[in-house]
Amino acid sequence: MRQAGERAWLLEWAGDESEANAKARAAAAALRAAGAPGFLDAVPAARTLLVLGGPGFDAYPLGALEADPPALLPGPPPRAHEIRFTPDGADLDEIASRCGLTPEGFLRAFTGLTYTVGFLGFQPGFAYLYGLPFVFHLPRRPSPRTSVPAGSIALAGPYVGIYPGVIPGGWNLVGTTAQRLFDLRADPPFLFSPGDSVRFTA
Amino acid sequence: MTRGLTIVEPGVLTTVQDLGRPGWGAWGVPVSGALDEEALRLANRLVGNPADAAALEVTLAGPVFKAIGDLAVAVVGGAFGTAPGEVIRVEDGRTLALAAGPGAVRGVVAVAGGIDVPKVLGSRATCVSARFGGFQGRRLQKGDVLTVGEPFGPPMPGRANVPRPPAGDVVLRAMPGPQEDLFDPQARAAFWAGAWRVLPESNRMGIRLRGESLGFVETAALPSEGTASGAVQVTAEGQPIVLLAERPTTGGYPKIATVAAADLGLLVRTAPGRIVRFERIAVDEARRILAEREASVRAGSAR
Repeated sequence: MRQAGERAWLLEWAGDESEANAKARAAAAALRAAGAPGFLDAVPAARTLLVLGGPGFDAYPLGALEADPPALLPGPPPRAHEIRFTPDGADLDEIASRCGLTPEGFLRAFTGLTYTVGFLGFQPGFAYLYGLPFVFHLPRRPSPRTSVPAGSIALAGPYVGIYPGVIPGGWNLVGTTAQRLFDLRADPPFLFSPGDSVRFTA
Repeated sequence: MTRGLTIVEPGVLTTVQDLGRPGWGAWGVPVSGALDEEALRLANRLVGNPADAAALEVTLAGPVFKAIGDLAVAVVGGAFGTAPGEVIRVEDGRTLALAAGPGAVRGVVAVAGGIDVPKVLGSRATCVSARFGGFQGRRLQKGDVLTVGEPFGPPMPGRANVPRPPAGDVVLRAMPGPQEDLFDPQARAAFWAGAWRVLPESNRMGIRLRGESLGFVETAALPSEGTASGAVQVTAEGQPIVLLAERPTTGGYPKIATVAAADLGLLVRTAPGRIVRFERIAVDEARRILAEREASVRAGSAR
């Protein structure tokens, strides 16, 4: 466990990243359910959980949580999403050829898999999804685009990402979806929560 | 009678802010809220508001507004207007101009009763980057009319303000950061000994600093992790950015240090072009300083 401020702690897990992330999500859910005095937030990410406390927060139990994160998740069960998208990404042909496939072959493989929302960050609703096979792990583009279309479905490293709005980005673009990821008029305002499962259909 | 204010001149960047919306980090929502939390707490205290009432955060050049109904106003955190740190009575129909005095960077303008905008995800704070919260999710513009709530209680007698940055270099106490070990000994020494200039490109996400580069740090293997307030992340060019209230919730840059929460307001009040230096303290000491500071802010004094 590392210190990230007076009342900020980073719990961290080694090993396979998606497994480490699952532990971070489980520990976050446990903290949220416990609602200890002074608890402010728990932010899961790739292989860490950032825990933020206020006055009166007792960090002592965090060590045990890091050593032995709960196997069963308290809180609401994960949801399953089906995301319809248009395969109009500017990088689709290049992605396919880097994977040694035709665009059709890549899309068949991509839509046949089930992904897990590992964490959100960067922007409200921006989701990092695990479940991409190693052969589809591509580096970010050498120079980021100044603007990526809202709803872009994109690849970088082990992640499938979905851009909630028009923002700069360096990920490889597969296509776009009309689904809103962050909509304050909707209840809940976020389509995805950490742990949800996602399938893509073209 | 409804109280409120009409924005006559908006200033450079005037937004509605409160203590922010912690608790939504897992959905990527920045905490947001006033960059200078101490200034907000003190300004609210001066006008008799609870600490979490919404106020205006003003930047570089303050706004001019016209009162609707009689208002009690307090400006804290910078030399904005002619009477910072005092309760100012603005009668119905009168205007208040909050031009910046020398060295004023950011300040908080609290109005007795608080700025009445709808809560979004539990807070009235504007998230400028994601365009929600506050007044219509944006910075204030000429002609905007903001409603002010019923005063909570009597204003506090006397004057009070948060400390201004001292003349000369501004020293910020800081703890070692979670990735300090990724930096070689030379880079670490250069960080703690360095003179860092505050850049005008700073914003509500972070204060950008420039000095002698800390060199390239290999970050390809550094996965995204949650970001804490005050974290000093180092860019690929070896330059630090101190993360503030509207920082993205996750990031992949290595963090060499964390500025003590008790000194973050001082940094926010430091003008672009000025030099800051970091003084290394242990986490335990930072905790002790923070607890003392919180006790004194609750008691109503600045220190």
